[in-house]
Amino acid sequence: MAKSDDCIHILQGLLVFGNVVIGMCGIALTAECIYFVSNPHDLYPLLKATENNDIYAAAWIGIFVGLALFALSILGIIGVIKASRTLLLVYIILMLITFAFEMASCITAATHRDSLTPSLFLKQMLERYQKSEPANDSDNEVTKTWDELMLQNHCCGVLGPSDWQEYTSAFHLTHSDADYPWPRQCCVLDAQGLPINLDGCKLGVPGYYNSNGCYDAISGPLNTHAWGVAWFGFAILCWTFCVLLGTMFYWSGIEY
Amino acid sequence: LPAPPARLPYVPHVPPMPLLGKVTATTFALERPRCVFDGHADASDAVWLAVAFANASATFRNPRSRADVPPYKQLPTARSYMTLETAAAAYSCSAPSPPVLRVGGDTACRDQGRQDPCNGPLPSPGPYRVKFLLMGCRGPKAETRWSEPILLRRALSPGTIDPAPTRRGSDVVVIASILASLGAVLATAVLGALGAKVWGSLCHQELGTDAFTRRSYRTHHIPPALPQPLPPGCGCSPPGLC
Repeated sequence: MAKSDDCIHILQGLLVFGNVVIGMCGIALTAECIYFVSNPHDLYPLLKATENNDIYAAAWIGIFVGLALFALSILGIIGVIKASRTLLLVYIILMLITFAFEMASCITAATHRDSLTPSLFLKQMLERYQKSEPANDSDNEVTKTWDELMLQNHCCGVLGPSDWQEYTSAFHLTHSDADYPWPRQCCVLDAQGLPINLDGCKLGVPGYYNSNGCYDAISGPLNTHAWGVAWFGFAILCWTFCVLLGTMFYWSGIEY
Repeated sequence: LPAPPARLPYVPHVPPMPLLGKVTATTFALERPRCVFDGHADASDAVWLAVAFANASATFRNPRSRADVPPYKQLPTARSYMTLETAAAAYSCSAPSPPVLRVGGDTACRDQGRQDPCNGPLPSPGPYRVKFLLMGCRGPKAETRWSEPILLRRALSPGTIDPAPTRRGSDVVVIASILASLGAVLATAVLGALGAKVWGSLCHQELGTDAFTRRSYRTHHIPPALPQPLPPGCGCSPPGLC
């Protein structure tokens, strides 16, 4: 008798601990996803233009899932301590729904991260950067984002300035290739924003132009974003799985 | 008859150093010839660059005077032109100068249509051959050899870029498969537990017992009643018999 009481107490203790961890992880997930959604690296316009901003959708789902996990963990702790069948049944069903949403968020983040290849950004940059008749606001946003990206990270193009030479572009429709083999932002600029040696920049003399591509500056933050949502969510779900199994076992054992 | 121009052995060429912009879609760079014309050039002579399509270089005729120099805008019809008129002193051994000449870098003269020698951008990818021509007051005095054909860059359309990922990352497969199996296990467990409850309550409700619950009976220990002693008011020694 005393032994099965002890077992029940141990199970209760474990479930309370499991729910506390879920609650804290839920808060952490919400905080992380709010950080990503707030767009700290100003890359959102590029993703919106590719019509492929599902990693932002995954982060939005993550915010609400995190809050739901926190609330449900409190419900779970109360249900376990009071050994109430109805509370625990409600907890299990709502947790399953939250589990399903978080699963969707993780898989979406992981899948869409894969689709953000250098070719995608290259094609978008060539077709939209400095487009002379911008079809809509997103073209202006793409141009502004690329200008800031190239100026702040001292980079040029997606893989390098040769992107502008290997492909025709909307930029070269308005800027002649002889004067602008690549945009002026690819040149090394002085404090006033003028190239320190324009002829050197046009010829591609090392030191007067930025020879590295911007893809690393784009993919770094996006990778952090996607993997932060996908893998952290995956870890939370594995833990939640164990806690839910324990709760179901506990629920089936408590008396009416 | 004026003497034919001296043939110098120098061959113009694109500079060997790694410059990303040495050949673009409409311009190209040439290594600046140094000490090539010393001994043939006077102070008043000028060095021109003759540019011709590679298949038209054989039919190129040196102009007899400065007035006969083919201008830039005749390039599509005459298949050649001359540009980059520079004083011969600029190519001498002692002249400090940038090591590279850029052909095609002046867009202003193309747009404004000036008559001066125009170093305008080249209209097609070529290939082109070039040679330097030293012109004096009485005509060409020396010329270099024709260069190898220089082919300009041909740009592809961005429509040829395929933005699809080359292969699916393994992370996605891991996450998706593990999560799907966890979700399936949970769903099965819940359905199984609920189903067992429903089944159990349907089958056993007549008997009133439930085999799955673990009941903890907290029994109140009721001792069997002991015979109460009679109150001492009767006074009979065997009870009930007075």
